[in-house]
Amino acid sequence: MQRNPVQGSPAPIRVVIVDDHAIFRSGLKADLDPDIVVAGEAGTVEEAIAVIAVQRPDVVLLDVHLPGGRGGGGREVLAGSAPLLGTTRFLALSVSDAAEDVVSVIRAGARGYVTKTISGAEISGAVRRVAGGDAVFSPRLAGFVLDAFGTAPADIADDELDKLSARELEVMRLIARGYSYKEVAKGLFISIKTVETHVSAVLRKLQLSSRHELTRWAAERRLL
Amino acid sequence: MTTAPARPPLVRSSDRVIAGVCAGLANHLGWPVRMVRIGMAVAALAGGAGVAFYAWLWIMVPTADENARRTARRPASPIAPAVSFPDTPGVADLSDAPGMPGAPGTSGTPTKAAPGSWRSKVSGMPFGKEILLGAGLLLAAGILIARLVGVDVPLGTLIPVAAILGGAAIAWMQLDETRRAGLVDKTKADQAGGWARLAAGLALVVAGVLVMVSGSGSWEQTWLALLASVAVLGGVALVLLPWGLKFWRDLETERAGRVRATERAEIAAHLHDSVLQTLALIQRRAANEHDVIRLARAQERELRGWLYRDSDKESGQLSDGIKAAAAEVEDALGNAVEVVSVGDCAMTQRHEALVQASREAMLNAARHGGGAVSVYLEVTDAAAEVFVKDRGPGFDPDSVPPDRLGVRESIIGRMNRHGGTAAITSSPDGTEVRLRLPIAAASAGTAAAAANNANGEAKP
Repeated sequence: MQRNPVQGSPAPIRVVIVDDHAIFRSGLKADLDPDIVVAGEAGTVEEAIAVIAVQRPDVVLLDVHLPGGRGGGGREVLAGSAPLLGTTRFLALSVSDAAEDVVSVIRAGARGYVTKTISGAEISGAVRRVAGGDAVFSPRLAGFVLDAFGTAPADIADDELDKLSARELEVMRLIARGYSYKEVAKGLFISIKTVETHVSAVLRKLQLSSRHELTRWAAERRLL
Repeated sequence: MTTAPARPPLVRSSDRVIAGVCAGLANHLGWPVRMVRIGMAVAALAGGAGVAFYAWLWIMVPTADENARRTARRPASPIAPAVSFPDTPGVADLSDAPGMPGAPGTSGTPTKAAPGSWRSKVSGMPFGKEILLGAGLLLAAGILIARLVGVDVPLGTLIPVAAILGGAAIAWMQLDETRRAGLVDKTKADQAGGWARLAAGLALVVAGVLVMVSGSGSWEQTWLALLASVAVLGGVALVLLPWGLKFWRDLETERAGRVRATERAEIAAHLHDSVLQTLALIQRRAANEHDVIRLARAQERELRGWLYRDSDKESGQLSDGIKAAAAEVEDALGNAVEVVSVGDCAMTQRHEALVQASREAMLNAARHGGGAVSVYLEVTDAAAEVFVKDRGPGFDPDSVPPDRLGVRESIIGRMNRHGGTAAITSSPDGTEVRLRLPIAAASAGTAAAAANNANGEAKP
């Protein structure tokens, strides 16, 4: 995806990998770029909450489906680590394409979502982006957002939490079409920083909106 | 239905004066409605026979709606609806893939046999019920005539006996029905109906017994006897209740266990037919990276489709068509094709053209782009749009030689013929094909075209 040239930055990014498959954890560890240091691993909800509280990593790579806890999986880890959400960012990883899995971890506080099939370079890029405070949207997540908020832009300003602005819609559409942030910026003649601002705004809306349509959309998919 | 296949079923018509009985009867018998209505009115004057007949039919004959609902009520597999439709498009395509053995289709067979046998049983039943009722009414008529003639009929005992028999019949009928339906559709409505029927049967039997007993003594005695018997029954129930509850609970657990076992068997059958076969193939072809990736990809798609399928979603949607085309391209060329769809609509003839053009664009993207292909489908009220993007080296659309039909004919030409547009942008970072098909045909901007665009442009 995007190869941010931050390799030279002095402090490496510390991550915790939370996944119940040991094979996947070791594979991911080998795939990550050298400037990303794995500070800890966990395989269950309880382990994850404990490791995150001790290590306080920059980024947690969080599998959506996890054993343990009360069966809530990744969402429960996010709920258990709520006090750390200001400093530790969560990036959801999943093999599941199901809307309920993806949207529920985002609404619980994850800063992005990627599928497990993407390459090591792409995951490293996503980790850096999340560590920098930005949001990571895969084409599929953008598709869910467009599905949930509808494809008509907001016309009045006061329901700004409940609808996407015309620009945000354009950005989401391009991401859904498979554009990287850089390509989005080029296509819309704006800076990458502006794209990141729009994406973060969309993430905030997705997390905070209690909009009628979003609720109904979620209820139809048994999200709430 | 089985006895007179040529006749329309006897249902109460919506073309009604009172309850649609006459119109329905006329429709069933093939007589003119007016005749039936006059006949009914004349019969009504003959001692009220017509009124009784009318009332009987009103009660016994369902309306057309009810009838339709009754016949269409059965789901294909009530136990595990999620596993009863294995023939998704993804599965069908999988079997076409070279080197892929039989796609799973076995889980469909056990469920197919069930509805047939159920229907054959039920088609016999309602007539049996009606004949029984008719026989009862005939008997009553016979008794009435006998009394008119002067024969002394012991009505005092006959009526209570009839009540007891009727009550018992109602209660037993219900038992038969639950056994027949088994544990498959214990919906709330059925349970409520069952309780009502049980209560009705019980009331009839108790009333019959009371009348019979009270014939021999005073009301006071009967009342006392009733009180005593209720007390005894209560005592017996108190003692037997724990056993009853335990028995009931055992039954419930066993039932739940059976449902789980069936589900497990379905899942195991599916995994065996699909995933295990693919894993075996992957082990055999471990040397060929291309084959392994393609097999894993195809299997992933199939399993995903099976696991995350929305059972409420109807099939034959545009997104299904696009996904099937993507799967085809994946199987043929081995490149991953990611489909993201927003909104959906039913497939029409014109959408078929859109799917074909998208397929061509995906093939080109996979062939020349080399890497993964991104496909985005967006359906709005105005149009259906498809974007196909790759990250290949790109090409100049204007420099494509005129004899190359792929882009010019299969994509641009096809879209134009069906009232849509196609645009291609290419840069060294990749190529994107944008296809747009307005919902209604642009030329025929009338309401008719909007209402039914399936026929609007069937043949270009």
